[in-house]
Amino acid sequence: MDQKLTKELAQKLMEFKGEIRGIDIISDGDFVLRNHGEEALKKVEEKLKEVGFPIEYKKLKPMGFYPGGLKALSLLAIKEALGYNNEQIEEIGKAAPRFSLIIKLFVKYFFSLKKFFFDYSPKIWREYWTTGEFVPVELNEEKQFATVRYQNFDLHPIYCLYLKGYFTTLTKLIIGAKKVECKETKCTFRGDKFHEYFLKWE
Amino acid sequence: MEEENQKISLLVEDISLLQNYIEDLFNFLPTPICFISPRKVILEANLAFKEISGYTTEEIIGKSIEEIFKKEEIESLLKEASEKELVKEKETVFITREGKEIPVSLSIKLRKSPEGEALGYFLGFFDLSQIKIVETQLREKIKELEELGEKELVLRIREIAKSKDIERKVEELEKTRKALMNILEDVEEERKKAEEEKSKTLAIIQNFVDGLLVFDKEGKVSLINPQAENFCKLKRKEVIGKSILELSQFPDFKPIAEAVGREMKGIFRKEVPLRKDFILEVTTVPIMREEEKIGTLMILHDVTREKMIERMKTEFVSISAHQLRTPLSAIKWTLKMFLDGDLGELTKEQREFLEKIYQSNERMINLINDLLNVTRIEEGRYLYRPVLADIIQICQSVIDSYKEEIGKKNLKFEFKRPKELPKVRVDIEKISFAIQNLLENAIRYNREGGEIEITLEEKEGKIKFSIRDTGIGIPKDQQHRVFTKFFRAPNAIRMETEGSGLGLFITKNIIEAHGGEIWFESEEGKGTTFYFTLPVASNTNVGTI
Repeated sequence: MDQKLTKELAQKLMEFKGEIRGIDIISDGDFVLRNHGEEALKKVEEKLKEVGFPIEYKKLKPMGFYPGGLKALSLLAIKEALGYNNEQIEEIGKAAPRFSLIIKLFVKYFFSLKKFFFDYSPKIWREYWTTGEFVPVELNEEKQFATVRYQNFDLHPIYCLYLKGYFTTLTKLIIGAKKVECKETKCTFRGDKFHEYFLKWE
Repeated sequence: MEEENQKISLLVEDISLLQNYIEDLFNFLPTPICFISPRKVILEANLAFKEISGYTTEEIIGKSIEEIFKKEEIESLLKEASEKELVKEKETVFITREGKEIPVSLSIKLRKSPEGEALGYFLGFFDLSQIKIVETQLREKIKELEELGEKELVLRIREIAKSKDIERKVEELEKTRKALMNILEDVEEERKKAEEEKSKTLAIIQNFVDGLLVFDKEGKVSLINPQAENFCKLKRKEVIGKSILELSQFPDFKPIAEAVGREMKGIFRKEVPLRKDFILEVTTVPIMREEEKIGTLMILHDVTREKMIERMKTEFVSISAHQLRTPLSAIKWTLKMFLDGDLGELTKEQREFLEKIYQSNERMINLINDLLNVTRIEEGRYLYRPVLADIIQICQSVIDSYKEEIGKKNLKFEFKRPKELPKVRVDIEKISFAIQNLLENAIRYNREGGEIEITLEEKEGKIKFSIRDTGIGIPKDQQHRVFTKFFRAPNAIRMETEGSGLGLFITKNIIEAHGGEIWFESEEGKGTTFYFTLPVASNTNVGTI
């Protein structure tokens, strides 16, 4: 997890099969801009350039598709350039749904939690990624918890942190819960067959 | 394939541009707007919303709407929006990040899917803080104006305040506020002027030689000047707020209260002896504002000195008349002796001269008698003896004594009366004198060959006497003076140089002393009719005049 971002690592990540919507990478840049300003963003862009993949966040197209590895590269560059810890990476994930056009498009399915969870949440994944599968496992509205997983997707552990934050906020937005806890209970990088998250809300 | 990719790329670009456009538009709107999910979670908020709330995007998105509005109110409004789809301009309270409560006018629109499922709500509101401030100021101004009595203006402002169009209301309120400020400045200026005038008026009242009391609408004393305090031995603090009935408890005000009565209606004037050698002329005048009586002014004028002078004058006239009558009587009887031939035969020329002197002496005696009667009336000494009498007989007796005079002027005379009339209780001498005065005037100021008609009748328990002539009449502008002392109309003086001008004054006093009334109708050049009434004997209650 504390792997240093090098040209080799970058090259390896860029070999990841699958693409991601530009909006999910842009949201990383926006987060830096909102919280640290232009200089910090430049630093991140410099880091990316340094490892051989110069990206200008502002020039990315929100609805365009880009190599999936760029997402992990973006997060790793932020981590290194700004000295972020794991919690701060989670914060990037927590902020993303609040600004996401895709989430706004899916608002129309929020009226029924069950329907949204089982029918529409896999579609959201597909709105972002051209690879991997999102699987809604269990929903218990009465006891206020849910289990989700995604599989056939091994990008980088930093993305697991990001998704932890992302699922936390998304659950808040859908349910209207004040407090949500999210825990990655299974992870392919820890030898599991898939990634699994347990969500509990109040 | 490449062509399809190009098309997809174009579509993606269009969607990105559309997203930018929507974001720019959404954030440009100056009205705070947000979108909430059916579970009341804020999913989107524009820049204006974030600015007024004080929350960042991260903080506001995902927050429950119940945290930024009053829970019960927003719940009720959302329920209403679910039922009606649209709720417009409802007043509620918005709570900022700092906990500040802002009054807002909130509108909610339900967002539905094509299938009719509720997808969430758009919320927009308008900050009413400034309006509330203006409204508060306005209410204060209205209160001030109400106190100043600017009712019409207040009604106008209230009308505006009820308006549903908030923008127009704000504009109108602002205009009205400015207008009010101007009006208030004017009112303040007028108030100062009024204050100055009031001070001047008060100074005049305080230093007025007459005593003044002002009674308010409820008949309570609202003002008393030092002179009134002095006249009636009252103290200001003891009488303010008291009614005339309560004032009658003060011994030196009691005679005034009794004379004026409890209600003080209309204009009233009466002389009231307050103490020995102290007489006040009390006048009450209603104070009117348009048609409404708003109080009563009581004027206390000290007439002690006037009364004393009047009494001295009457005494002087009385003494003088008595002193004059004695030698005139001596002259009369001496002349009578000459004319009767008791002192020897007279030549024709001597007789003519002596007859003229005799007639002049008679006129002087009559004048002296009239003056004495007047002084007796004024001194309250015009005593008489009432007896039951037949008014027809009294009239006939007077008429008989004037037959010669009537004949000399060729007057057509008629005396209309029923066969009999109820008896009247009168002083025959005084009533005869009154009728004589009226008949004498009818003859004296009639034209040659004119008419005189005397009528007697009973009407409503009274005997009504009237005497109509076809004489010179009384000019309209002089009619109000007919019954005053020494009055003679200019046309009467021109026609008949002699006459004291006391006859009708005495006649009026005689009739009124018998409980009767006297009046007349006259047209200059056509004639005059005098009327009087006397109560029939059973109801007669006579006294002295």
